[in-house]
Amino acid sequence: MSARPQPPSRYGAGFWLTLVVAALVVASVLALEVPGARVRALPLELARMFARFFPPDLDYGRETVIRAVIESLQIAWVGTLIGAVLSLPLGLLGARNLFPRVGLMVKPFLVAVRAVPEILLAIYFVPAVGLGAFAGTLAIGLHSVGMLGKLTADVVESMDVGPVEAVTACGGGSTAVVRFAVLPQVLPEIVALWLFRFEINLRASAVLGVVGAGGIGGVLLNTLRYRQFDKAGSVILLTVLVVLAVDALSGRIRERLVRD
Amino acid sequence: MTAAAPPAGRPRPRQPPVSWGGRLRLSLAAVAAAALTLWSARAVGFSAHELLTNLDKIGRLLDDSFPPDWSFWPRLVAPFVETLQIAVIGTVAGSLIALPLAVLAARPVSPARPVYYAGRNLMNVLRTMPDLFWAMLFASAVGFGPFAGALALTVFTVAVVSKLLSESIEAIDLGLLEAVRASGGGWWETVRFSVLPQVLPQYVSYALYAFEINVRASTVLGLVGAGGIGMVLNTQRTTFEYSRVTLIVLVIFAIVLVIEQVSEAARRRLV
Repeated sequence: MSARPQPPSRYGAGFWLTLVVAALVVASVLALEVPGARVRALPLELARMFARFFPPDLDYGRETVIRAVIESLQIAWVGTLIGAVLSLPLGLLGARNLFPRVGLMVKPFLVAVRAVPEILLAIYFVPAVGLGAFAGTLAIGLHSVGMLGKLTADVVESMDVGPVEAVTACGGGSTAVVRFAVLPQVLPEIVALWLFRFEINLRASAVLGVVGAGGIGGVLLNTLRYRQFDKAGSVILLTVLVVLAVDALSGRIRERLVRD
Repeated sequence: MTAAAPPAGRPRPRQPPVSWGGRLRLSLAAVAAAALTLWSARAVGFSAHELLTNLDKIGRLLDDSFPPDWSFWPRLVAPFVETLQIAVIGTVAGSLIALPLAVLAARPVSPARPVYYAGRNLMNVLRTMPDLFWAMLFASAVGFGPFAGALALTVFTVAVVSKLLSESIEAIDLGLLEAVRASGGGWWETVRFSVLPQVLPQYVSYALYAFEINVRASTVLGLVGAGGIGMVLNTQRTTFEYSRVTLIVLVIFAIVLVIEQVSEAARRRLV
């Protein structure tokens, strides 16, 4: 006869983890010294600001916002493309199943590049090449090289090695291996990564204007600074609409790429 | 290479048929992408010329930026701690709010169709807004400071975690749902005893992932006045103290990298 199983202990790793996280949160909240009155006033204040967004100033939208949103779109597109073009060879070199020794050096480099947020890169590019969209494009491009290179290496590392062995067995060198065994396998997935990165870069380029690197971010910062909430409303409205449209389009293309 | 005759008896395999429609679509896509690129590159003022003629400016910038001003370090400790506190609050508060939202917006569990669509659309719209947009909005609603940053990261975390979690919930084993219903459980019992236990490891893993993103985001919130190290960064940037900017960026880089590696290792063990 087997005894009834004992229930698992209530004081396992999860319990202690929850306790630690809770302590961290309490300590952080206390450290930030947020006055209780401001927290209680928060819903009202948000509602008041939200109400002031309406109706959005659509004339301002037509004259200024649209152009800036399009500039963000262009920054994101060219930046993504720079990232894509440079990350493809770097990602291949970083794949440890193709290039065991070189990969050991390239991949950590890619991981490191992507740890710097775009906007910090922009802080350096703005004085280097001047205020404006070009600085933002370079920042997005450099950050994307790291991101995409690392993901490309991951994709190549998880591919089927059969075709690689087949090309090697036929006497193909590493160029032939990449051309006939690697690229045909991984390219759809990698192009899907590029498109996904474009979606992310659009959001990133939308904020670069905060440090003067072009796009819609600077417009939003200025309208809010002068508390022109109806103009800010039209910035937010148009940005959300454009991002939604790009997401939908790019998502559909990605689905088709990965399916066949 | 010479075209050798295939050995008798075993015909050479035929090439797959050429798909003209596919080729047409591919070339149209290529032309469209190229046109978009040219148009955008012109608009952003992309030029190798400008890059090369600015070399002396770039040299001067590098001179200003290196070596980093290490003596500035003592004034950075408190803002960096504040940055991490913002990230912790944003991650935990956002993950807690994301949990019910994800349950309501997951198709097999959602209590009613309208709730499902409302939740789904809310998640999609939340996801379109960049983190610094939230920071700017909250900074002008509640005033400059870390409170605005914590609120911004909370909303941003809700967007990230609820989307990922609702996708996980839609992929759970529905058998367990039926088991709870069959033994007389209502909606709440179904969620409590079959949905949540199944997605708990993913949920924790998504929260950790959000924490990684939030640490990176929290370092720049201060550029729009929402607290943390970014506030210091912004002052040094606008007064062109680039040796100090470099120190801050290096420390951000180190912190982001360490937290990312630790959190990634934890996530690998979880899932």
